[in-house]
Amino acid sequence: MNYDASLWLIFILLGLATTLPRASFIVLGNRFSLPPTLQRALRYAPAAALAAIVVPDIVGVSGHVDPLNPKLAAAMAAILVAARWRNPWLPFIVGMAVLLGLKAVFPG
Amino acid sequence: MQSMDFERRGFAAGVREGFIAFLPVSVGLIPWALVVGMAMTSAGFTPLQAMGMNIIVFAGTAQLGTLPLIADHAPLWLILATGLALNLRFLIFSAGIAPGFRGIGTGWRWLCGHFLTDGSFAVCYDKLMQVDDPRWRLGYYVITGAWSWLLWQTFALIGIFAAGIVPKSWSLEFMATIALIVLLVPMAKSRPMLVAAIVGGGGAVLLRGMPLRLGVVTAICLGIAAGFAAEHWQEKKTA
Repeated sequence: MNYDASLWLIFILLGLATTLPRASFIVLGNRFSLPPTLQRALRYAPAAALAAIVVPDIVGVSGHVDPLNPKLAAAMAAILVAARWRNPWLPFIVGMAVLLGLKAVFPG
Repeated sequence: MQSMDFERRGFAAGVREGFIAFLPVSVGLIPWALVVGMAMTSAGFTPLQAMGMNIIVFAGTAQLGTLPLIADHAPLWLILATGLALNLRFLIFSAGIAPGFRGIGTGWRWLCGHFLTDGSFAVCYDKLMQVDDPRWRLGYYVITGAWSWLLWQTFALIGIFAAGIVPKSWSLEFMATIALIVLLVPMAKSRPMLVAAIVGGGGAVLLRGMPLRLGVVTAICLGIAAGFAAEHWQEKKTA
């Protein structure tokens, strides 16, 4: 995979899309504040966005929904481990083991 | 109380106490930085591009979340909209912690804003509200940001080079998916958050046929609305 110079434009704009929300109220001080209703609604943005990125990736193989793909089984294992234990490494170890194990048992 | 106030004076004392409080929390950054480093290499970035993203963006969730879109050559606005959605929580953190920067100049405030991460927010919030001395508060906060920054860059760099020597058949790019899952699972512990995640995730699958990948943004908006509605419904039920 190759990228052209526009990749750096993406980085700079993403950097702004990170630093501006972070600095917003710290820099503005108490001169301005968010309406409480909007604050409450925005709390759901990260969960909705993460799920919107992860779920299509794990249920599908190249655009088609396939419930029997090894990524879905590996993701389920990672979800169970992450929900049950607090060790930050464990979901990675178990998830990768399930994915690579299934790929070795059912090649192609 | 008098002696405590005496000790809580000055930038250096703040740095010392902030570092001690933050050190155990900061260990959690190491696997993230390694995984993000590996994910950037798996997405096809050169080490220079990967470190460029790591330094300019400095936000694990936004980096991991936008990587699949960047690798897919998705339109720029979609990459930005997704990055913004993943960063919206910082708007809330920023609004919450802003009173802690009373008496601190604008230049420092920009740096502190750039350094605002989930870990710094969690460790500093109470102290910044309670302690009076602005120099102590600045020291306490800035060391958490500077230390996060250093760990983040160092371990991402290690991840970048580690991924380069691992064979393709090991499917290391799946580590990025697991990392997003690990972020998502603790969020989805409350009922309305779970609703937001299910609607966001399910919506993105059902709407994946929409042109320009509009389905992702639509699904995120639906997820936010569903979570908010579920919160209202839950409150009505318990009230």
